[in-house]
Amino acid sequence: MAPLLRIDPRDARPIWRQIEEAVQHLVARGALPSGAVVPSVRDLARDLQVNPATVSKAYQRLTDAGVLTVRRGEGTFVSATPPPAGDARRDERLREEAVRYSSLAVTLGAGREEALATVETAWRSLTGGNGSPEETEGDPE
Amino acid sequence: MNPIALQDLTVRYGRRLALDQVTLEVPEGSVYALLGRNGAGKSSLVRCLLGEQKATAGRARLLGHDAWRERARALVEVGVVPEEPNAPPGMTARQLSRFCSRLYPRWDAAGVEARLERFGVPPDTAFAKLSKGQKGQVSMALALASSPRLLVLDDPTLGLDAVARKALFEELIGELADRGTTVFITTHDLAGVERIADRVGILRAGRLVLDEEMETLKHRFRRISFPRSQAAAVARLQALAPVAVASRGWEVEAVISNYDEERLQAADDPEVTALTLEEIFIALTGAGEVVP
Repeated sequence: MAPLLRIDPRDARPIWRQIEEAVQHLVARGALPSGAVVPSVRDLARDLQVNPATVSKAYQRLTDAGVLTVRRGEGTFVSATPPPAGDARRDERLREEAVRYSSLAVTLGAGREEALATVETAWRSLTGGNGSPEETEGDPE
Repeated sequence: MNPIALQDLTVRYGRRLALDQVTLEVPEGSVYALLGRNGAGKSSLVRCLLGEQKATAGRARLLGHDAWRERARALVEVGVVPEEPNAPPGMTARQLSRFCSRLYPRWDAAGVEARLERFGVPPDTAFAKLSKGQKGQVSMALALASSPRLLVLDDPTLGLDAVARKALFEELIGELADRGTTVFITTHDLAGVERIADRVGILRAGRLVLDEEMETLKHRFRRISFPRSQAAAVARLQALAPVAVASRGWEVEAVISNYDEERLQAADDPEVTALTLEEIFIALTGAGEVVP
């Protein structure tokens, strides 16, 4: 699992954010199906040769966002179900990221059509079809 | 109280000022990387910190004790991996471990054995017969065995090959994961330390020219480059107060330390790239005056 996740020292994002976003991406495209176990903080820190506190911070944020679930004594897993619509924190994050993306599109001079079409394409590349990510192939159960 | 607190630490050798009023603090549980070119004052600083040398002025406190006057008391809870590991030449790693176990209240002899095995260091070979890398690994294994509150590593990867360096960082990561030990490390291995340190200090000619969180440091530095033919863009460069400027072929490259997307002129259309710690270090300690 670790080779899927790389740290780039030339990336302006802090390492914890690189880990956070990489895990999010792996979950979104189904490479980490729900219920899958993720490496322990210690193992991932050793694989990536980073400070365990950095991995811990990324995992903490992913847990807070409902992407990962910690089961005491068992380890950390990809959450079975994402937080439901209506969850205040979830809705707020969705809105914030949408505003960020829209602002970028506007400053790059992309029109509404183009911006939405780009989201559509990105969505398809994650799901490999036009369904929602949960319905994709690759789920062993 | 922070594990390390230096205040106006000054060291003078005759007329030469090796350390010039260095003030810095290392908070509990953090990993502090002290960088600097050869002769910048790193060794003098570490010697003062470990009570091996008396500062000309200012003071160094180690775990709440005066590093010079209360050296013995302070060092009980400090693990040290010195730049030049030293031990009685005839003693083996195993004998060294047994010897040290009498000096420390908590001694993890099994941990020493396990680390020597992971490093691949023969436990029954005389210290003098070990390679430089192996001597460093023995001193790392011994330093961790006392379960120190603070680990001081003085250029621990100097002279190590890539495999040995990785093994050393893995031990360090394991220690951080298990115990959250505070770490103070001087090194030339910027790529290795970039992923582990959360605070960076840079010494230049005895002065601490930078002392900052890794995250904010990396956030504010960028390299911007554009064709030299854009005279207007080149002229606007001064306003960005670059810390280093270089002409390469038909390009002008500048390193700026106060990156703010909005201040860059869109018309200049510069190529903007983030910098590695090594590139930041070179920009700040290469030639010219430093204005970090």
